[in-house]
Amino acid sequence: MRTLHLIWAVTWFNVKMLLMSEFFVLTTFITPLIFATLAFFLFRLGNGAAQQTLLYAALGSGMMGVWSTTLFGCGGAIAWQRWEGTLELLVNAPTRYDFILAGQTFGAVILGFYGIGTTLLWGVILFGMPIQTSFPLLLPFALLAAVLSLGALGMLIATTFVLYRHANALGNLLEYPIWLITGLLVPVVTLPLWVRPLSWALAPTWGMEAIRGAAMGTDAATPLFAMAMCVVLAVIYYILSRVALRYVLQKARRDATLSLQ
Amino acid sequence: MTAGTLVAPTSTNPNSWRAAWRVFWNGGLLSYGMLFNWARPSIYIPTLIGGPTFQLLFFAALGSYASGRSPAYFAIGNAVQVSALAGVFGMTMAIANERWFGTLPALLATPANRVALFAGRFLPFLANGLFVSLYAFGVGVVFLGVRLEPSTLGVVALALVVTVFSCNAIGALQGSVSLRLRDGLFGANLLVMAFLLFCGVNIPVSELPGWMQVISQALPFTHGLEAVRQAADGAGLSQVGGLIAIEFGIGCAYAVIAFFLFSYLERSSRENATLDVR
Repeated sequence: MRTLHLIWAVTWFNVKMLLMSEFFVLTTFITPLIFATLAFFLFRLGNGAAQQTLLYAALGSGMMGVWSTTLFGCGGAIAWQRWEGTLELLVNAPTRYDFILAGQTFGAVILGFYGIGTTLLWGVILFGMPIQTSFPLLLPFALLAAVLSLGALGMLIATTFVLYRHANALGNLLEYPIWLITGLLVPVVTLPLWVRPLSWALAPTWGMEAIRGAAMGTDAATPLFAMAMCVVLAVIYYILSRVALRYVLQKARRDATLSLQ
Repeated sequence: MTAGTLVAPTSTNPNSWRAAWRVFWNGGLLSYGMLFNWARPSIYIPTLIGGPTFQLLFFAALGSYASGRSPAYFAIGNAVQVSALAGVFGMTMAIANERWFGTLPALLATPANRVALFAGRFLPFLANGLFVSLYAFGVGVVFLGVRLEPSTLGVVALALVVTVFSCNAIGALQGSVSLRLRDGLFGANLLVMAFLLFCGVNIPVSELPGWMQVISQALPFTHGLEAVRQAADGAGLSQVGGLIAIEFGIGCAYAVIAFFLFSYLERSSRENATLDVR
């Protein structure tokens, strides 16, 4: 219970901190709206050639914002603590550092999910998009599963990106390819066969499928399976991030570089 | 013990052409190396090579899936637009970073020719934007079916150079504005995304609502990109010369506004003693 309270406190603190950053306000609230507008126009240009609804585009664009926030918010998490001089204190605190990091990454992911709400509102107001939910009881669980898996992926990103000196540059590199291969706006089945295993290993693919399945699906099995995949991936990411974190911290202690940039 | 060597101070009239040229050329190159945060391989390659590659692939896949158009259409649009990464972000950094790195007071204390100082910033970023754009065209040709009409390649090149120049000009304006902002890159990010939406990069301007078309006419890229598209299909200078001229005019307008804003902010910063205030 104390651990959950700690994670929640760090999560909420990080949400408030990120909201102070103009960059994250842009990434979370404005970028998804621009991409949603682009997607709406593109799908309208095709006159239904893709046979997708506005809700499909809105959810996909919102999830693009979630990925950007996760990528940038988590990619630099440990590096920022170094710059701010808090890393040494946090690592040496009696609480486990991975819990603090988990709170930090969940903060970024949850902030990203606000963007989905903004995008839906945008679609309703500007494009008259109808809001529908095929399985309203499943939707909150689908969102929770997506947050969980993306949060765990965020931890993995945080613990591995720190090995690269310019984490933001990696963020710039990995924004578009993940948008593409996780089927946020272009279905995974339209991509080359060799790409699909990569898609299956990434949380946004299953998170998006769970949310879309609950909102627009025709059978409950698809979102349920996607949610299960989110949980499985979350466990795998968490284990990998623990291993990476142990390596990173040991290396930093051994080389006496914990506080160095 | 070593004896110091006395070197006679160089006396150059700051208003001379020679001094202005030195400020323009050397100052421009130095500003690129010192102020452009991305001018190192570990950032340059992921951001200005990897990023544009995936941007092209993403929009080619999304555009052709959603609208049924050829991937080449989206590849050309984005190959031109990616120059904004170098142009807008680069120019913003080249001007605004003077303040953030603490060199602005020293710079403004010099009697250097301001036009040369300001114009010198353009050249390296123009070359950089062109390089990024040409690379993206290469990706488009190899992977996305972009075909350029050989007889009008020169016209494509001219339209591209002018478009990259006007993009740099709006980047200079953003840089000048950033001298007073807490986070200049916020505006730069917004501009780059606005180009994606308004300038016919992915959606033909004629398909946009009327108010968006009005905005698109005042932005860089709209006319230059249209000229590139038509020239790539074989249109000659006589057909797209007007579009190129409009794009050049828009670029010059932004450059002039940027310079006057820079000069105004310099004056007002001196008057209010806010040169170093962050």
